[in-house]
Amino acid sequence: MSSVTRAGNARPLRGEGSRRSLWAGFLFGLGAVAFIDEAVLHRLPHRRPFHDGSASGIGLVSDGLFHAFGWFAAVLGLVMVADAARRRCLDKRFLGAGALLGAGGFQYYNGIASPDRPWYAIAVLLLAAGCWPLLSARRRGGAE
Amino acid sequence: MGDGHRLPPPASPLQWAAALAMVAVVVVYLAAANRLRRRRDAWPWPRDLSFAAGGVAVAAVTVAPLPGGEFTAHMLQHLVIGMAGPLLLILARPVTLLLRTLPPGRTRRVLLAVVQSRIAAVLVFPPVAALIGVGGLWLMYRTPLLAFAHGRPLLEALLHLRVFAAGMLFTTALCRLDPMRHRYSLALRAGTLVVASAAHSVLAKSLWAAPPPGLAFTAADLQAGARLMYYGGDLVEVGLALVIVLGWYAESGRALQRERRRSDAVAGGV
Repeated sequence: MSSVTRAGNARPLRGEGSRRSLWAGFLFGLGAVAFIDEAVLHRLPHRRPFHDGSASGIGLVSDGLFHAFGWFAAVLGLVMVADAARRRCLDKRFLGAGALLGAGGFQYYNGIASPDRPWYAIAVLLLAAGCWPLLSARRRGGAE
Repeated sequence: MGDGHRLPPPASPLQWAAALAMVAVVVVYLAAANRLRRRRDAWPWPRDLSFAAGGVAVAAVTVAPLPGGEFTAHMLQHLVIGMAGPLLLILARPVTLLLRTLPPGRTRRVLLAVVQSRIAAVLVFPPVAALIGVGGLWLMYRTPLLAFAHGRPLLEALLHLRVFAAGMLFTTALCRLDPMRHRYSLALRAGTLVVASAAHSVLAKSLWAAPPPGLAFTAADLQAGARLMYYGGDLVEVGLALVIVLGWYAESGRALQRERRRSDAVAGGV
């Protein structure tokens, strides 16, 4: 990955930190929620068993893809946080916004996979909470 | 197959031969690493540990009686032979060690030619290695192949050897720690790992619902084996993801250092 730096003081360009932090947060948030979903919620009785026997082929494949992507996203997200910190451009607000968006995105997918109103509600809440810091950052950025 | 026997069949002479060969390879690795250190070359000791652990684990599950039902034991064997073992072995960079210890001569030239050959480059192209690995698993578990091999020691040994070889190829292709012709991006390797893992977990779930054609196991055995395949696959996926992502972290760190040195030099020049 090419690093975009200003010559001279090797400080990251404006916007680079927010972009890297947002992605790191998004991947980690998605992976973390996928893990919680697998490790906790599937253990609860009557809550999406290992295999319900009736799942369609497409359902199994999309579940498998999301499951595999979740693991990779968690690992990549964590290391991207370390990478942003190393570049001295970690933006905690964007990191948090990304994590909320990632978590909300996964919940939204979960809502599609097993239609369930409370899950959609959680997803919408998380997504809205994730958008808030972005909007306020834009307003602040415009005022600068 | 599978009417709840407690005693698994004793290991065949072929299995013993394979296990002993694996142990011999470990001894050769340790001797080679020792030789490097004696001539004061650096070779980190965790690699010795990783290779020994991988080799001993593969040898052990090849001959030792394993707990659980027949299908569960078979799955544990395959997880170690085809995934966990190869990861530990490949982390130890065996080809690099061999190239550094072999004296200049015909053997070394041949090994180098094989490593740099076009066919090796095609085989370690990540999607090709993944197709050979996971495609082979689907063939084994979703056609009558496994039922046909059952009770034929030579065929069973060949299937195990194939699982091991495909696991080594897949791990080599994704981790790319030993010398290779090409380099591939994080995105290609990550995408290959995710798709291959997904295919692996879908196969595990399908085995939970239906055994390989022509074979019958107790429901408890089949489900325990399928779960083991599913969660064991996850564990190895996380291990492979760590190797790939930490490799990217180290590489982009080196690029960042170069960038900083260059820009400092520019600033100093001005």
